[in-house]
This record gives sequence, C-alpha cells and structure tokens, in this order.
Amino acid sequence: MNALIAVILGAITVYLTYTRYARRIDRNVIQSDPKRATPATLYMDGVDFMPTNRNILFGYHFKSIAAAGPIVGAIVAATLWGWLPAMLWLIVGVAFMGWVSDYSAIVMSVRNEGHSLSAVAHRLVSPRTRTILFLFIFFYLLLVAGAFVGIMAQVMESQPRTHLGMILLVVMGLLLGQMLYRWRIGLVPATALTVGVTLAAIMMGGASEGFFKGLNEAFNSLTGGSPLVTYFDPTLANFKGADAKIMPSLLFWALAISLFCYAGSVLPIWRMAQPVVYVGFWITALAMLLGLGGAAVGTIIKPEVAQFQIPMFKGWNPQMGPAGVMPLWPMLFVTIACGAISGWHALFGSVGTARQIENEADMLPVGAGSMLAEFLLGMLALLAISVGAKGSPVAAFANGLGGFISVWGFPMEYAVSLAFAAFIVIVLVVTQLLFRVMRVTLTEWLGEIIPPLRNQHFSSFISIALAILLVMTGTWIYLWQLFGAANQLMAALSLLLVTIWLASVGKNWVYAGIPMILMYVTTVASVLVTAYNLYFNVYLPNLAAGRMLPTVGSGLMVLVAILLIFAAILIGIDGFRAFFKYLRRPTTMAQPATAPPL
Amino acid sequence: MAEQDKPKKGGIFQVFKDIVYGMSSHEMTRHAVRSRASMEHLFILITMGDLLGVPILPPYYSLRLLPYVTPQISTWKRRMLRERDITDTLG
Repeated sequence: MNALIAVILGAITVYLTYTRYARRIDRNVIQSDPKRATPATLYMDGVDFMPTNRNILFGYHFKSIAAAGPIVGAIVAATLWGWLPAMLWLIVGVAFMGWVSDYSAIVMSVRNEGHSLSAVAHRLVSPRTRTILFLFIFFYLLLVAGAFVGIMAQVMESQPRTHLGMILLVVMGLLLGQMLYRWRIGLVPATALTVGVTLAAIMMGGASEGFFKGLNEAFNSLTGGSPLVTYFDPTLANFKGADAKIMPSLLFWALAISLFCYAGSVLPIWRMAQPVVYVGFWITALAMLLGLGGAAVGTIIKPEVAQFQIPMFKGWNPQMGPAGVMPLWPMLFVTIACGAISGWHALFGSVGTARQIENEADMLPVGAGSMLAEFLLGMLALLAISVGAKGSPVAAFANGLGGFISVWGFPMEYAVSLAFAAFIVIVLVVTQLLFRVMRVTLTEWLGEIIPPLRNQHFSSFISIALAILLVMTGTWIYLWQLFGAANQLMAALSLLLVTIWLASVGKNWVYAGIPMILMYVTTVASVLVTAYNLYFNVYLPNLAAGRMLPTVGSGLMVLVAILLIFAAILIGIDGFRAFFKYLRRPTTMAQPATAPPL
Repeated sequence: MAEQDKPKKGGIFQVFKDIVYGMSSHEMTRHAVRSRASMEHLFILITMGDLLGVPILPPYYSLRLLPYVTPQISTWKRRMLRERDITDTLG
C-alpha cells in the first residue's frame, strides 16, 4: 500500500458520496428549494443572521470544524488496530453518517428559524431534554479540554524544537491584534510580518533545542530528578502496563498551555484568541497543503516517503494486557471521531453556519462539502502515521507529514519541524476556544447558585483545574476515547433530533435514523468499556498503591462516563417517545418554538 | 434583469479567494460586526428601552433620536428578544 492509492481512494469516496448519495437525499428527501427564504434572509440583522456567499461559508464552516479530532484520532486508531480498520471506518463513516450529521443539523436549523439543537430539542422533545443536553455539553467540553491539554503537554515536553515557534506564535498573535485593531495597519502587511516571523521561528526550532532541553532539565532538577506524581498506566510499554512518571517539566508545560488558554479565555477576543488563531491558520494551511500535495505525488517523485510501514491489521482486540478490553467494536468508532462523524460539527453548524445560509441550495455544498473535506484531512493524518512509524504516535505523524512536505524540496529537518508546529497549532487554537466556552457555560449554568462563578477569572480557573486533574490520571488514551465517545454520542443525539424532526414533518427519516441507532448503541457501549477499563485498570491499582492524584483523576473520569451514559439514556428515552408520537401523527410543517417577536 | 445588475461571476480564482477569506478572516469580521452591534443595541436600549417595556427617564432625547433609530428598531427588537442558550456562544 502506498500514499497515492490512499489519496485516490479518498477522492473516489468524496466524489461518490457527494454525487450519488448526498445530492439524492438533498433533492428527494429534504427537497431543498432555492426560492424558499432562509433565516439569514428572513431575519437578517447584519450580525448573527447574515446571508453569506457559499464559498466563504464553506471556508468558514470547514475551518471551524477541522480541529485536532481527525488528526489525533487517526494517529491513535492506526497505532491501536492498524491502518486498514482506521481507513475503512473513515471511508464508511463519512459516506453514510458524517455528512448526514453535518448537513442535516444545518438543514434542521434552517427549516426551524435558525434555532440551535437545544432549542429544537426543547420544542420537539421536552424541556428536560434541553437541560440534560446542556449538562452533557459541559462534560463533553471538559473531556475535550483534558484530552487536548494532555497531548499538547506531552508533545511540548518531548519536543524542545517546537518551543520557540509556539512562543513566537503567541507573541505574533498579540502583535497582530495590536497592529490590526489599535495601530490600524493593513491586513496584508500585518499578516506577512507575523506569519513570516512565526514560520522563521518554527524553522529555527532546531537551533534553540539545546536551550529548551536545558530548561526542562533545570525544572526536573528542582525535585532532584524524581517525579512529582507516579501512577500505574496500563497503556504504557506497548500495552503491557508500567509505572508512569509526571516530571516537573511536564507539569510546567501543562501549566504554560493552561496559562495561554486562560489568557485567551479572559482577554478581549480581538486581543489574543482571534489573532493567534489567524496566524496559526496560515501555518497549518501551509503544512496541510504541502503535505496533501506531497502525499499525492510523493509515490512517484520520492517513493521512500510514501510506503506504508505500520501493520495493516493488529487484531480485533490486540491490547489484551493490563489495558484490559479494547475491542475494535465499539472502540475504533469513538477513537476516530471527527474525520468520520462528529457531534461538534452538528453543534456548530446549527448555531454558526445555518444562520448565514443565503440559499437552501447552499446547504449541501457547505454542510456535506465541509465534512468531506475534513475526511480528507483525516486521511492525510492516517497516511502520515502509516508512512512515519518512527517514535511516539505524534512523532510518527510529524515524521510522516514531514516526509510528504520534503517532497517539495524542503530539508527533512525543517519539514518535520513544520509538521510538529502544525499539529500543536491545531490543538492549541481549539483548546483556548474550549476554555472560553466552558467559562461561559459555567457562569450561565451555575452562576445563580454559586455567585463566585460569575467572576470570569474564577470560572476559568475552575475549568482549567478540572482539565488538569483529568490529565493527571496519566491514562491519556482512555481520556481520548472518553472524549471521542462523548463527541460521537453528541452526533447520535443530533441525528436523533434530526430523525424526530423529519418524522414530525412527515419526511423519510431512514437516512438519519439508521446511522443514529448505530452510533447511539456503539457510543453507549464504548463509554461502558472505557468506564470498565478506567475502574479496573487505573482506579483500583492506583487506589491499592495509595496514589491519591491518579485515583481522584480516574475516579472523576469514571464519574463523568456514568453521567454521560445517564444523560444519553434520558435523552434517548425522551427522544424515542417523541419520535413515535410524531410517527403516528406528523405535523404538516415545522412550528416555531415561540411566537415570532415581531 | 439588466446586464449590469447581474451578480458578477468570478472564476476559479475568486472561488479560491472566497474560501481562503472564509477560513482565515470571516470569523474576525463577524466578531467585529457583533461588537459594533452590541454597542449599538445597548445604546438603543438606553434611549428607546420603553419599546421593550424598560422605563426610560429622558423621553426628550428619545424623541430627538427616534428618526435615526427607526430603521434599526425591527432588527434590534428581534435580537433583544431572541431566545439564547449556551450553545450560541459557539457560533
């Protein structure tokens, strides 16, 4: 197997899914009508509701949904089960479920006056469903934040060559905000300066490697080289299980990332969050474009960087050691989330994109098109890990992507530095947004009951502390799988709402209903498996050894897993009840949640 | 439709430009517009709050400002009265 065949497979999947399935559903089931007014045109306020060109909206939606999920998920899954199951799930998932979820959430919102998923749940199912959905979303965000901070801290600690680039990224982001909004300098020169300096810093990472290595050693010498926390991690040593150690340098980088996220959460959005995301966008776009192009032509120009090196298939349950049960079903289907199907997309699509759809004919290219583009990103990540095969999973990904980039004549060392930076940038920019949303959620949710949570610094601190606690369990793979399960469960709940809505308006609900049942059963099963693994393989051994922090962290993860299952079952019961009610007596058209204000 | 009224169709370069703009800058533009709208709506609330039932003390200034505010009243009322939840912060 080589990268070119995989790229061709990806292109065929995109073409067939879009032209043979998605377009048919859009025409025959949804019956999108370019003449029907959309919320963007009906309620145009120039702010939230604003008709926007489909190409702009495609870019906006794609950038908003394409985060670390498709990249990290593919890396972890290929490491656990081999590249073939990962590739098959990416292809089947996006073709029959992924685009359905994204597109349908947008359609449902457009046909329901631009209401969010929770507002539609309130109207079509019950008020209780909406409340439970909020609870679900908060824990979902917490898991994402924990998983992202964990992997970034590990990469930052083990790759000192990336530090200079990341520090300059933040500095250049701050400078860009100042240049654009205070000094009124044009976007093009400001972009050229800040992106140029950041790129140069990333490339010069090797020169500063010695300095940052020394810094890490200086931190570790504070405790005389002994770890801060020791815990049993069943996924270490090729899943044979071993004692893992959290060194002061790892905690330092976790805290540094948290500090960055805290600043992004409490500073005005123009000051830091947006400019950093903007500078980061150009870095990742450059790396991904060069990488995707390199993967396509690498087989011909530089065949040694395009041959698959990891095993094709490692077995149905290859991790039989102390890591416990990790069967291909259901765990593969939650380990790769965003490249195949994702609840985040539906959540974002209903509140961000749907309110800007100018014309119903745009719903398909924007919703399904963006998802298919993200599938290609997932495929690229899978290719990179499959040809890389050196070092830890993230290092293998960077080596693989670096190999693809080097096809264009870049020295391998610089190409790998760019790939590492692209990975960290993608994760970093999403994480700071997550903490901002978590802070707002905590304030909205518990601010009345616990007044200190209305303070943005306090609510940010609580959010970050909870995420750090999850990281300290030391079992990052379980945390990632729990996040993946929550994300896929969110997608299943979104599909459940779509199914109910389709039944309520008398349309054929099968295209959304079948993926919904499959994802619902799979994700609930995967949360149960993860909770089992966490309890028996992390919580109990660490409790027996009297290790307090990992015990509390893994206990919290088990608790979150139980809460997720409980919330999903409640939403499921309410949802199925509503579905059968509408199935017996569909309404002729969707009614607004409340009387229009005007 | 007259020839000059037809929307201008760009080529592949224009499509690429739009997509890159959507990915890189559309969110920044939306946020800038949102910030301005929030300020404007707050101003209208202070001066014209009685339209929503909020008692306003100096009606003289409201009357002086009314002609300038009138075009925005419908969207302002819609935005002020629209139900929001935490997921709206994502958009």
